Amino acid sequence: MTSPAIRPFRHLGFSGDICALALKNLALSVVTLSIWRFWGRTLVRRALWGKTTAWGDPLEYVGTGAELFKGFLLALVLVYLPLVAGFIWAQTLIEAENPLGGFLILVLYLLAALLIAAGSYRARRYQLCRTLWRGIRGGQTGSAWAYAARSLLVWVLIPLSLGWAAPWGEMWLARYRMANTTFGDRAFTCDARAGNLYGRYALVWVSALLLLGGLSLGIAGIAAQGMDEEEAAPLIGGLIILCLPLAVVMVGLPLAWYRQGVMVALAAGTGFDGCRFKAEIGYWAMVRLAIGNALISAMSMGVLRPWAALRIFRFGCAVLSVEGVPDFAAVHQGQDSGPGMGEGVVSVLDGVGEF
Amino acid sequence: MDGPERSSPGRFNDGRNAASRRVRVSAVPEGLGIRGEDGFLVAVWRLGDVEREAAPGAEVRLRCVAEPAARLTLEDAGFADWVLPPTLPRRRSHGTLRMVVGLALGALVLLALAQALPGLSRYLVAFVPVETERAWGRSMAQGFESRFRVCRDGAGLAAMERLTARLAQGLPPDYHRVTLRVVDSPVVNALALPGAEIVVFRGLMVDMEHPDELAGVLAHELTHVGERHPTVAVMRGVGVGILVTLVTGDASGLVASAASALMAAAYSRDDEAAADRGAVALLTRAGIGHAGLAAFFRRLDRQEGGSGSLVAWIGTHPDSAVRAAAVEAAPLPRSAAPSMSEGEWSAVKSMCGG
Repeated sequence: MTSPAIRPFRHLGFSGDICALALKNLALSVVTLSIWRFWGRTLVRRALWGKTTAWGDPLEYVGTGAELFKGFLLALVLVYLPLVAGFIWAQTLIEAENPLGGFLILVLYLLAALLIAAGSYRARRYQLCRTLWRGIRGGQTGSAWAYAARSLLVWVLIPLSLGWAAPWGEMWLARYRMANTTFGDRAFTCDARAGNLYGRYALVWVSALLLLGGLSLGIAGIAAQGMDEEEAAPLIGGLIILCLPLAVVMVGLPLAWYRQGVMVALAAGTGFDGCRFKAEIGYWAMVRLAIGNALISAMSMGVLRPWAALRIFRFGCAVLSVEGVPDFAAVHQGQDSGPGMGEGVVSVLDGVGEF
Repeated sequence: MDGPERSSPGRFNDGRNAASRRVRVSAVPEGLGIRGEDGFLVAVWRLGDVEREAAPGAEVRLRCVAEPAARLTLEDAGFADWVLPPTLPRRRSHGTLRMVVGLALGALVLLALAQALPGLSRYLVAFVPVETERAWGRSMAQGFESRFRVCRDGAGLAAMERLTARLAQGLPPDYHRVTLRVVDSPVVNALALPGAEIVVFRGLMVDMEHPDELAGVLAHELTHVGERHPTVAVMRGVGVGILVTLVTGDASGLVASAASALMAAAYSRDDEAAADRGAVALLTRAGIGHAGLAAFFRRLDRQEGGSGSLVAWIGTHPDSAVRAAAVEAAPLPRSAAPSMSEGEWSAVKSMCGG
């Protein structure tokens, strides 16, 4: 018993408007020695959210720049500066040939990785709690530390499995995020699995291996010529530079195919109130989006990233559909009004984009 | 103008659940009357409580202070213009002045921190134990030992160590014992490491024409040691990194390290000028006089741009002619004692098999 899928999402924002906002934010950031950026990011989000409609009604972003700024200051004093001090201390221990130094560095790296993962989970909670639709808040349950521990496990398993844990790990983390996402008093459901992604992933893996193998053979061939280091170095450098465009085609295109699979599977596995999501993503449309956004960010040195974000919003609204209409009358305002300040660790430790 | 019975179709969200209810909104004496399709009154919003939300498209979205989670969408913008007062408050337009003052204060704090950084580093260095500093310098010196051959020629090194010890008498007692290393490299350079370590490159000795010139350079490096400049520079680097991370929000360290490197060159010029002044004092105290140091700078000035090996010495240092003039401006001691004997000097010149 499936209802017909409709596309309930629209994005009505204009590229020109968001670029004008990005340039205004740049000017104000320069004048305020960058302090404006928290308020600027808030304005960008308000523009992105506010021009997105679902079933005819717009999203609202109700976070404030002051909340982001407070979170930043707190994370700076409680997390970033102690971490920097810890790293300096560990460095002096290593200089003094104290074996404790190496151990301390390892612990600090683990701690920093955990903090980044936990911080990004918290940042997501902040953004969801500050997102309203029809006056009802979004939200996120689950524990940031549990999420961080899972992320760490995935990061450790990926190299140990020569990369084969990546699809599973990605879906495992995505399931945790989505199943803990709430709208009002209802949680989303997510049962997306990585099983069907392994075919696409194998293609990425094999083409990466072929490229690396070819490169190694090339370097070994140059080395076998018996040239001295000064002659061989430019040849090897040239070979690596030649391989870059090849890597874009050989690894980039299969990787895009894999990413497409991930997004389709994730949407198909996600539901709300019994209604399934669906993403109909065109391969080349997605490649164009990714390359266009990379060019926009690189050419503008990050200034026009809000425009790239707008393109993602537009793309997402165009490809996402929902089977049936959830019973919105049964979705009530949740109890959790969200954190009092936003995104601390992430805004210090990691330059996240506009989301 | 069809009078007060005008109304608009709309959608109402009561803020308790996510349903969208079709309503008809009309002007009533209290404000806006919101009626369901069945004609029953759902809510009445006082006009004084109504705020306008941003909305995409031609619709008008309203909220009410008394029911902050509820939303009302008017589909007839003409009705909205007619019924709503022209200066309807937009949400969160508060405190523009407070905001400007706050942002300006924040920018000032950042500027003040950047200005205070050199002084702050000098102050904080007092809290770094001398032992830590030494361990630090030793391991950096070992780095040089692994990259270059260290020249341990007995007579030459002993002569240089005697000269160094004589000059170091003018430093705080912690720095009377300085470790001197001469490394086999054609670069015309000498440098001070944290703690009490001085590294001299063979190229410098080749370039020297008189032992007093060597005394001048050693006195310069000893001043760096005595004033703990290398350690201050490390602290400044960390400070610049933190400040840049604050400003850019980029914690990857890429921007921070680039900025540290750029700022380091600017700051080190102050240190160099201080070391030149200190060198003059040490040379005077040792009775050697600073004519040799001035002569060395004069020759550097003539060679600048000519010899590539000089770039290392010049890179982070002020203009050599200016430095020579500053040194020459100090009064010479009445009787200048020689810094080395002829025999010692020839032993030094022949170090590293040169």
